[in-house]
Amino acid sequence: MTVKIEVIEGGIPHDQLMIAGLVGSLVFLYLSYINVMANTQLASFFGGLAAVCALLWGSNTIKVLCSYGIGTGVPSAGMLALGSGVIAMLLATRYGLWAPVVAVVLAAVIGAILGFLANNVLMMKIPVMIRSITEMAVIGALSLMGFSAMAAGSFDFTQMSAATTSFLGMEMTSYGNSYMGLTIIAVSFFLAAIAIQHPFNATLGPSWKQDRMLWLAAECGFLSMLAVSVMSFAFLSMEAAALSLAISIAGWAYTYYRYIMLSKRDAAFWLDAKPILEPEGH
Amino acid sequence: MSVTPKPAGGVGMDWTSMGLALLLMLAIIGIGWYMFGMTNIFYALLAIIVGGALIGFGVHFVPVGGAPAAMGQAPGIATGVAMLAGGAGLAGLFGGAWAADLGLGVACAAGAVGGALMMAITCMFVNVIYVYAMGIPAASGKAKVDPITGDTQTEFKSQGTEGHGLPFVSFVGGVVGGFLGGLGGTLIYWVLLKWVYVDRLLSSALGAPLTADVTPIAVSLAGMFAIGLFLVNAVLAAYNITGTIEGPHDPKFARWPRAVVATAVASAVCGIVAIAIVAV
Repeated sequence: MTVKIEVIEGGIPHDQLMIAGLVGSLVFLYLSYINVMANTQLASFFGGLAAVCALLWGSNTIKVLCSYGIGTGVPSAGMLALGSGVIAMLLATRYGLWAPVVAVVLAAVIGAILGFLANNVLMMKIPVMIRSITEMAVIGALSLMGFSAMAAGSFDFTQMSAATTSFLGMEMTSYGNSYMGLTIIAVSFFLAAIAIQHPFNATLGPSWKQDRMLWLAAECGFLSMLAVSVMSFAFLSMEAAALSLAISIAGWAYTYYRYIMLSKRDAAFWLDAKPILEPEGH
Repeated sequence: MSVTPKPAGGVGMDWTSMGLALLLMLAIIGIGWYMFGMTNIFYALLAIIVGGALIGFGVHFVPVGGAPAAMGQAPGIATGVAMLAGGAGLAGLFGGAWAADLGLGVACAAGAVGGALMMAITCMFVNVIYVYAMGIPAASGKAKVDPITGDTQTEFKSQGTEGHGLPFVSFVGGVVGGFLGGLGGTLIYWVLLKWVYVDRLLSSALGAPLTADVTPIAVSLAGMFAIGLFLVNAVLAAYNITGTIEGPHDPKFARWPRAVVATAVASAVCGIVAIAIVAV
C-alpha cells in the first residue's frame, strides 16, 4: 500500500474534467466528419481540437495517477497511454463512421486489462491504478485519432492510407505518399505523447495549481497541433491546412499568454529581465 | 514534498491474479486459433507473446538509475526506464527493420545487436561522464563483490549513497537488456509485417493489389504496432521494478517472473487487436 504524497485541493473535480474531455473530444471528432459529408477539407482542424480536449483530461489523469509516486517518472505514464491507445485507435479506424466510439470502447477494454496487470499481477496496489490506466488508453486513442483526422482529413483507415494527387490533370491514387504510408502517424504519436506527459511533469511540486497545469496542457496541445497542421499541408488543400495553421497559432498564442500570466501569479518572484544589448561596432 | 514513498512490491506473487491473467492469455490464444486456424497469423500471435515477454524480461537487466543517479547518489544510467528501454528497443527495432527482407533470423539478429550496441554505447558514455567529468568511481550498492570481475565494491562506495557509477556487472546487464529488448521488438515487427500484413491487409483492408506502392502501408502499420507494444511492455516492466534497478545482481531482479507473465498477457491482448485489423 502506498502513501498519497500530494493532495488535490480545489479546482475542477476529476470526474467533471473526464466527462468534459470525453464528450468534447467525441463531439469535435464527429465535427471533423463534416469533411466527408460536405465533401470538403476545411473541417479538418476540429480533429486537433478533439486532441486538445483529450489532452486536457489526460493531464489531470496523470496528476491523479502520479500523485501516488509510481516510481517510474511521469513520462512513462504518457508512453503507456499512447502505446496502448495507438493499438486501439488503428483497429478502430477500420469502422468508418463508428471509429471514435469503437476507439473509446476498445481502448477502455485494453486499458482495463493493462491496469489489472499493473495493479494486481505486478502488485503496484495503487487504488486509482486500474481506472487511471483505462482513462489513459482512451485519451491516447482519442488524441491520436484527433491528430490523424487533422493531418489526413478523415479518421477512416482507407482515407488515411490513400493520397489523391493530380498529375497533368489526371487523378492518381498513391498509397506510398499518404498519411499512413509515410508513417506521419509516428510523428503524431510522439507529439501527442509529449503533450500528454509534459503539463504535470512541468508543474508538479508543492506549488502545483490545477488551473496552471490545465492551461499548460492546452498550450502543449495547441503546440503539437501546430506541428500537425504544418504536416497537413502535404495531404490537404492549401486553404484547409492554412485554416488549421491559423487556428493552431491563435490557440497557442492565447493559451501561452494565459499560462505565463498564471506562472507570474504563482512564482515567488518575477523579474522582467531584458537581454543584454551588445554595443555595436566592437 | 518531504517524503517520496514508492510502491513496496516485494518478491511475492499474487497467485489468484496471475492465474486469472494466464487464463485470459489462453482464452486469447484460443480465439486466435479459432479465427485463423494453424496459419501463419496464429503463429504470429504466439511470436508476439514471446517477443513481448522478451522485452519485459530484458528491461530487468538494464541499470536504470533515475534522478538519484543524475546526482551521483545511486548506480545506473541517469534516466527513467521508459526512455532507456524506448531508446534501446527502438534503435534495435530500426536496425532489424532494415534487415526485414533478409529473413527472420537475420532481422532478429540485427535488431538484437542494434539494441545491444545502443546500450553498450550509452553505458560507456555514462561511465566516461561519471569517472572523468564528475570524478565518481563505479561502485555497486547492492553487491559487496562484482559477480563477474570479483572486484570489491564497498571500499569505493561513498557514505550516504546507494553506490554510484556503473560497475561492470551493470554494464553487462545493460548490454544483455538491450539485446533482449531489440530481439523482442524486431520479432514483433517482423511477424506482423511478413506473416500478417503483407499477405492479408492489402487484399482485405485496401482492396488494392500488392504492389511496391502499397507496401509502405504494411511497413508503417507493423512499425506502429511494434512501437505501441514495445512501450506498453517496457512501462509494465518498469512498474514491476518500481523505477530503479542496478542490474542482474539487484535483489529486485528476482521479481522478473511477475513481469514476464504480465507482459506476455499484455502482448496477447494488444497482439490480437493488431492482428484483428486484417480480419474486420
